[in-house]
Amino acid sequence: MASYTKAAQQWATFARAWYLIDGKLQPPGKLAAMSVIRLQGKHKPMYHALSDCGDHVVIINTRHIAFSGNKWEQKVYSSHSGYPGGLKQVTATQLHLKDPTAVVKLAIYRMLPKNLHRRTMMQRLHLFPEDVIPEDIRNNLVEELAQPRRIPKRLDEYTQEEIDAFPMLWTP
Amino acid sequence: ERPGSGSGVRRGACQGRFPRWRPPACCAAAGAGWSLGSWGWGAAGPGLRPARSGRIEGKIIEDVKTPTPPNPSGQCPICRWNLKHKYNYEDVLLLSQFIRSDGGMLPRRITGLCLEEHKKVAVCVQMAHRAGLLPNHRPLLPEGHVSKKPKLNRYLTRWSVKSVKPIWKRGPKWCRVPFRVGHPLLMDNINYGQKPVYLNH
Repeated sequence: MASYTKAAQQWATFARAWYLIDGKLQPPGKLAAMSVIRLQGKHKPMYHALSDCGDHVVIINTRHIAFSGNKWEQKVYSSHSGYPGGLKQVTATQLHLKDPTAVVKLAIYRMLPKNLHRRTMMQRLHLFPEDVIPEDIRNNLVEELAQPRRIPKRLDEYTQEEIDAFPMLWTP
Repeated sequence: ERPGSGSGVRRGACQGRFPRWRPPACCAAAGAGWSLGSWGWGAAGPGLRPARSGRIEGKIIEDVKTPTPPNPSGQCPICRWNLKHKYNYEDVLLLSQFIRSDGGMLPRRITGLCLEEHKKVAVCVQMAHRAGLLPNHRPLLPEGHVSKKPKLNRYLTRWSVKSVKPIWKRGPKWCRVPFRVGHPLLMDNINYGQKPVYLNH
């Protein structure tokens, strides 16, 4: 720190970083919790609510998120237009098929603090249904964050040696 | 053909201590294994001769060398291998030993599991199927039938996908209708992390 000029130190402290999160087979709630921390800037020791220190977050593969339990069928997203008979209730499955980024977007929107900064932070969030990212965003990315959930291996992903090393528990 | 409950000579020795379908251990532990063709007609039983008298051959096959389990005095395979509260839906290598090729569970009398472990394994197998961890254990579908259901990723699903209804009104915070995740039978599993296992989300 001693060798940097004041201007360079200020630039390094307040520069906005771009983080990448892969949402494949991940629960959207946990993705949202990680992204909300970084969008607000709470992962930085010099956080202050007024100092606009949030970073950008890019989430890819939102089409392949995984809900635990039966939430795909049970979770209902409701909205009301304000007019009588204007209640629209959609299950998570239907919403996801219509818009593959909507589930993650709503999760993050509802987790952010309910103030005027929320809209700016949502503008700094970038969601992509597959892993196709525009060139300029890809050049900005600084770090890929670890996935929140450990993905279990499928049976055909185990090598034959691992399958043979596992003992037979019972003989017919 | 299934081996009968022992030839006439040996039935008297072990009478009444085994279920009718299972041959007593004294019959099974006859040194090197017998091939199935020679099982039924080894000793002279009255009804056991083949319909046409031909040449009968017995083959001595090598026993499959299974490693000895760490706790041989257990009643079911899970207790014998000390896996009682240690498996989950992700341990596909273990679960695949108790399922048929079309994904269904093998009966308890074949595998030898105790009732509670059989139920736990059944629940874990269902969750593994719904998570897509057993892709080759599918039921046979005729033709090249393409399913129109949307393929969504899920894990720890307690109920079948078709049977669940949406929760239209979840209620206020103090009496919220929770989303059920996992299964209560697996609550006793050893948890090495500090966070407890949440069944209600």
